[in-house]
Amino acid sequence: MSLTTRLAETLRQAGDSAKGHYVIRAVDVKKIYRMGESETHALRGVTLDVRRGEYMSIMGPSGSGKSTFFNMIGGLDKPSAGKVYIDQVDIAQLDPYELAWLRCRKVGYIFQNFNLIQVMSCIENVTLPMSFAGKDSEEARDRALEILEMVGLRDRALHKPGEMSGGQQQRVAIARALANSPDILLADEPTANLDLRTGEEIIELFRNLRDKLGVTIITATHDLKMLKASDRIVWIDDGRLARISTPAEANIQIGEVH
Amino acid sequence: MEQIGKQVRLPFRRAFQIALSGIRIRFGRSLVTVSGVVLGIAFLMSNLTGQLIKQSIAQESEQRNTVNLMLSLVKSEIGDVSGRHIAVSSFGNLSTVEQLLLSQLKTTADVREGDGAVLRIVLGNQINSPASLTTLTAGMSQSVVLDSLANRVYAGTAAPTMRRELFFGKESDEQIAKQTRQARADKFRNWWIVTISLLVTVFGVANALLMSVTERFREIGTMKCLGALSSFIRTLFLIESSLIGLAGSILGVILGALLPLIAYGFVYRFGLVFGTLPYGGLFGYAAMAVVVGTLLAVMAAIYPARFAARMVPASALRSTV
Repeated sequence: MSLTTRLAETLRQAGDSAKGHYVIRAVDVKKIYRMGESETHALRGVTLDVRRGEYMSIMGPSGSGKSTFFNMIGGLDKPSAGKVYIDQVDIAQLDPYELAWLRCRKVGYIFQNFNLIQVMSCIENVTLPMSFAGKDSEEARDRALEILEMVGLRDRALHKPGEMSGGQQQRVAIARALANSPDILLADEPTANLDLRTGEEIIELFRNLRDKLGVTIITATHDLKMLKASDRIVWIDDGRLARISTPAEANIQIGEVH
Repeated sequence: MEQIGKQVRLPFRRAFQIALSGIRIRFGRSLVTVSGVVLGIAFLMSNLTGQLIKQSIAQESEQRNTVNLMLSLVKSEIGDVSGRHIAVSSFGNLSTVEQLLLSQLKTTADVREGDGAVLRIVLGNQINSPASLTTLTAGMSQSVVLDSLANRVYAGTAAPTMRRELFFGKESDEQIAKQTRQARADKFRNWWIVTISLLVTVFGVANALLMSVTERFREIGTMKCLGALSSFIRTLFLIESSLIGLAGSILGVILGALLPLIAYGFVYRFGLVFGTLPYGGLFGYAAMAVVVGTLLAVMAAIYPARFAARMVPASALRSTV
C-alpha cells in the first residue's frame, strides 16, 4: 500500500534497537473504584509485558476491566496498587508535567468515537498535539499537511470534523495520533463505528506502522479481523488476565464475505 | 531509552485562539452566558446612570431656583427690569448660577456699562467693604447690588445697605440630617439591589460555564490525552469567561446607559437630560461597570475551570458520555 510506504519515509524511526525489549510492563496492577461505601474491583492484579513493536489486542466483555487496564497502560489513569512501567519508567513516579509529556509524545491515542475536537478544523486537530509539544506553528502545519496527505485527506485540511464521514474522521484521528511520532499507539475499538472496508484500511495501516516503523500497537477490540491481524490476543475477565494466545491458537474464523 | 521530559506550557496566544474559536463555534451557548452578564451589568449601569441623571437634573433645577429668587428680589427693589439699564461688574470666572443669571437678564434688560444704571450686579467677587460698595454704586440713582458669591443683596440710593442675605440651599440642621439619612438609606437599598443582581449574574455565569464543562468532558479529556496540561485547560476556561465577560459588560453598559437616558428623556426633556448629563462621570461609570462585569465573569469561571482542569484524561475514552 503506497499510503503506508510514504508514511514509512516520513515518520521518524521509532523502533530504536537501543531501547528495552519491553515497552510496557504491568506488574500486579489493581484498580479499585470507591463510590461511597461500596468498592468496585475493576482490576484484581494483572501482570503483562508488551513487547516493543508488537501488535496486541485486548479482548473482554464489558465490565471486565478491559478499559481500565487499557487506560492504565496508556498512562491515562494510575493504578491503586501495582506498577505500570512505560519504557522502564514507573508512571506513578511522574509529576503532571512529565505525564503530559508522556501522553503527548510517547503515546498516540485513537478512540472509538474519534474524539476530534469539533470546533477545530482537520489540520488544527492534527497540529494540536504538536503545539502541546512546543513545536512552532509553521513546522507543525507543514507536518500536519504531510500526515494528512498520507491518510489521503490533505484536500480536506480545512474542513471541520462534522463535515466528514466516520472513516474520514477516524483517519484524521489517526493522523493526530501520529503527529508527534509516538512509540506506542493505543486504539480503543477503532473500527467499531466504521464500515467494513474502512475498518480493513485501518487494520492495514496499523500493520504497516508496526512493520515499517516498529510502533507498538495496542487495541481493545471485538473486531475479528483486527484480532486476526494482531500478534497476541489478551483476554481479560473479571479484572484478571484470563488468557494470552496468538490468533492462530485462538482459531479465529472470519465469516464475512469479501 | 528516551528520557521522559517535562511538558512545556503552551503560549497564551494559542490558548486565546482556541478559546476564541470555541466561543465562535458554540455561539448559541456563548450567547446565553453572555446574556447573563449583559443583564447584570445593564442593571448596574442603569442604576448608576439613573442616579447621575437625577443628580444633574436636581442640580440644574436648584440653580434655576436660585436665579429666579435673585431675579424676584431685584424685581421687588426696582420693579420690572425689562428695558432698564443694568450694569455688570464681573471678576474672574463666573459660576454656573451667575452665567445663568446674566443670560436671563440679557433677554429682557439693557445690560451694558455706563452711567445711569439702575442696577449694578457684581459677579465673581465678594464685596468686602462698604467702600467698594460705594465705588461700585457711584453715580447711580437707585441701585441694587447682587453679590451672588456671598449670597447678598444690597439696595438703596446713594449708599446702599445690605438688605437681605439669601440662604440658597441652606436648610436647618434637622432638615439636613433627615435628608442625609434618607439619602444614605436610598444609597444602601440601591447598592443592595445591585449587589444581589450581580451575585445572580455570577451564579448564572458559573452555572452556564459548568454546563459547558460537562458538555465538553470528552473534548477536555481528549486534549489531556494529547498532552494538555491542567493549567492549559484552566487558562482556556478563564480566557473564555473573560471574553464573555468583556463582551457582555460592553453590551450591558450600552443597554444600561441608554434605557434610563431615554426614559428620563421622556419624563423631562431630552434637551435637559442630555444637556445637563456629566459625560465624564458617565464614562467613568461605564469603565467601572465593564471592569466589574469582566472580573465577575472570571470569578464565576474559577470553579468550573478548576473542575475541568481536574478531569482525568481517561474520561475521553468512555464511549458513552
